[in-house]
Amino acid sequence: MSWLGDWLREIILVVLLASFVELLLPSKSMERYARLVLSLLILLTMLSPIVSLLKGDAIAELSLAMGRQEKEGGLFTGGGSGDPSLEKILADGQKLAQGRQDQSLKLAAEEVAEQMREQIISETGKRGVNVTVTLGMGKSGGSGNEDIPVISAVKVSMSLTTANPTGVSGTSSSVAAPPIAIAPIEPVEVKIGANPENGSASADEPKAVNGNVTEDNTSTNETESIVKLLEQKWDLDPEVIQVDGGGVNNVKL
Amino acid sequence: MEIIQVVGIGLISTILILVLKEQKPMFAFLLATATGILIFLFLIGKIGMILSTLERVAESSGMEMIYLKTVFKIIGISYIAEFGAQIVRDAGQESIASKIELAGKVLIMVLAVPIISIIIETVMKLLPA
Repeated sequence: MSWLGDWLREIILVVLLASFVELLLPSKSMERYARLVLSLLILLTMLSPIVSLLKGDAIAELSLAMGRQEKEGGLFTGGGSGDPSLEKILADGQKLAQGRQDQSLKLAAEEVAEQMREQIISETGKRGVNVTVTLGMGKSGGSGNEDIPVISAVKVSMSLTTANPTGVSGTSSSVAAPPIAIAPIEPVEVKIGANPENGSASADEPKAVNGNVTEDNTSTNETESIVKLLEQKWDLDPEVIQVDGGGVNNVKL
Repeated sequence: MEIIQVVGIGLISTILILVLKEQKPMFAFLLATATGILIFLFLIGKIGMILSTLERVAESSGMEMIYLKTVFKIIGISYIAEFGAQIVRDAGQESIASKIELAGKVLIMVLAVPIISIIIETVMKLLPA
């Protein structure tokens, strides 16, 4: 029966409040309108058991609607209170711009990776080369303070098998990462393909021990040639290039 | 005895305005506006006291705060609209004053919209489909 007591108390309070507020109102002209809203409030309070029975949480809905009304604001307020909303809008804009930049960097990285792959394939005649390019924003060398995209890492992994012929993945990640002050180019890593005996590309396991010694020399040569190629064609710093090859030898320059 | 202060301010400014009106009607209007704002500021502390008392009572009795918020909004809108309308009316712009009042009325009605929608939805659910 406690809900009955609560309900009665709420009704009494709302009625008292309404009569008090009516006295507080400044003029007669507003009184009719204020009285309408107040009477609606009283009606809602009296109906509250039925409302909660039929409609669930009416109060939450009401406060949601009021909050939305408040946020929309008037014609001149530009949607709510001035400064915080302006800040919010600016922050949103920045976030959007950041997202767009990320996306364009990703696309550019994919493009660059594809081109590098084409070059490596045409130069070495190897299939199944996997090139991953990481682009970052860096300061342009001389003139302005503008951030320009730079290649911050190139990772080439090769497998002797052609298990993954379309293995081009340009992933540009962590654009906002620290290496901002890096000049045009940085690490390139080249991995040379999988163990021929295993027949599977194990590019992800550079420390695989099951290699054979005879492959070593050729792999190293290939790695060096790829690094040189990329260095020349893309004007890259050798430190940026990382080549993983053959599961056996992992040449890091 | 704050009422004496308020009446004193009112009387003094009325006399000044009557004097000024002959020479510079513009300044008379400014003085009237300033006096109005002064009295309003004088009272705003008291209004705040009343409102905070209401709030405390409502909070302690477990009344829904959204009701109280709505009621406070009604009071605020009607006071501000009335104040602005009277200043404009003093300046002789009756039509603009009535527009301000209209805005106040509309904004009070807008407060009623969510309440009305909830009541109507409940009634519609009560009725057999």
